[in-house]
Amino acid sequence: MLSVQDLHVYYGRIHALKGVSLEVHAGEIVALIGSNGAGKTTTLTALSGLLRPRSGSIRFEAQDLTRLPVHQIVRLGIVHCPEGRQVFARLSVIENLRLAAAHRADRAGIARDLQRVYDLFPILAQRRDQYAGTLSGGEQQMLAIGRALMSRPRLLLLDEPSLGLAPLVVENIFRVIETLRRDGVTILLVEQNAYQALRLADRAYVLETGYVKTHGPAHALADDPAVKAAYLGG
Amino acid sequence: MLTPSYLIQQFINALNMGSIYALVAIGLTVVYGILRLINFAHGDMMTVGAYLALAVLSSLALPAWTALLIPVFVVAALGVLIERLAYRPLRGAPEVAMLITSLAVSSLIENGATMTLTAQPRPVRLPAELVQRVDALGINFAVMDGVIVALAVALMIALSLFVRRTTIGIAMRACSENVRVTQLMGIDVNRVIAVAFAISAGLAAVAGVLWSGKFGIVDPFMGFVPGLKAFVAAVIGGIGNIPGAMLGGYLLGFAEVFFVAFMPPEVSGYRDAFVFVLLLVVLLVRPSGLLGTREVNRA
Repeated sequence: MLSVQDLHVYYGRIHALKGVSLEVHAGEIVALIGSNGAGKTTTLTALSGLLRPRSGSIRFEAQDLTRLPVHQIVRLGIVHCPEGRQVFARLSVIENLRLAAAHRADRAGIARDLQRVYDLFPILAQRRDQYAGTLSGGEQQMLAIGRALMSRPRLLLLDEPSLGLAPLVVENIFRVIETLRRDGVTILLVEQNAYQALRLADRAYVLETGYVKTHGPAHALADDPAVKAAYLGG
Repeated sequence: MLTPSYLIQQFINALNMGSIYALVAIGLTVVYGILRLINFAHGDMMTVGAYLALAVLSSLALPAWTALLIPVFVVAALGVLIERLAYRPLRGAPEVAMLITSLAVSSLIENGATMTLTAQPRPVRLPAELVQRVDALGINFAVMDGVIVALAVALMIALSLFVRRTTIGIAMRACSENVRVTQLMGIDVNRVIAVAFAISAGLAAVAGVLWSGKFGIVDPFMGFVPGLKAFVAAVIGGIGNIPGAMLGGYLLGFAEVFFVAFMPPEVSGYRDAFVFVLLLVVLLVRPSGLLGTREVNRA
């Protein structure tokens, strides 16, 4: 479904990704793990088009994404739910959700997806007309995911959905991610919490300072002594 | 001196000036909100609008209302064109690059108008029905005064509804929070920015037509001072904030008109200085303006 080949990305003069290659197949959950500054967020940012790679290719079902404008990439079904929630604080909950569906023409589908978001996160229905800035951190993360769903993702890029949230909320978020997989959404997940990520994912890539250090089935990585030592606390 | 009719006259005057400042300030604030651009060429959109209205009124056999409508659409299109040619290539460059470019655009329009139309001010002759005075609500005023206020208020209500209710309005507000994330919603931000420039320039054209109608004169530099005042109004209200621009516009109109009305003649010449003192005082007390929120650093 998604095929990334030898991706090089720079932030100014900093060489952030030094030849990352990865594959995501339809229906999978693939995790990107690694420490701070390994290039996880950079990878997602390049996939959604906000950062342009210096070289390398990104193909989504045979289509080259490296030249496509960001909003066109979203319309292909690659939806990026960014790190730190990034909901629009001065828009209401419903406006945040509506905005993410604004490029779609199927009114009935939008109504269905809105109902689905409210079913997954009932609190959002209650907070419908509140400014998103007044929501708690956990609620904002729910809104961020709900908003991504309103764009009808086929491939969802999820960046640190559990960051800074209370354990109960984290559990809820991970439950929703599993539900999404059952509904046929393919997910590329960036997580600091490597333990959770490997438990949920089918396969994983371990990034280190801009390289793919190793990759494989999630359960195999979880048992890999080197990965254990570096990312799972022994 | 301070007869009731003098006070009422000053009040009407202040409402007029405030309405025009507010229209111009909204346009500045809408563009600033999204691009963080202080558009120095904004006042010149007033000038272009006023010249177009003059051309329609004096040489074309068209009804008077087209002297408003034609400038609005032509100047809105001009605003979109300027963004496309001058500002868009600088997107992502340091903000000051765009600001300097807008100074260049301003200078181009002012000097272009001087070269082709001469710096000689031209009189604007309003249609007779706008000049006549009427008595309403116990007040005597010129029809034009009423038109200015009514039109400005109607446009402000329409804009508020547009920004609240429509998808593109929501997208404009989203862009003013974070352009990058707005793109991630599948929104074509170039379209949103084009709409913002069309609205901004269109409102400035209205303001220019009204201004030239009120003062009866058009010249290549007429947009400069009201443009500057509108910038002050937008900052007083909290730049980037649309209700703030409206509030700031009226506040400035009233402050300026009443300063001139109540101060002795030897002081009232300092009206422009007074406007800037007012700005300084407001910013000392509320650094982000009256309705502004503190700027958070954007990624």
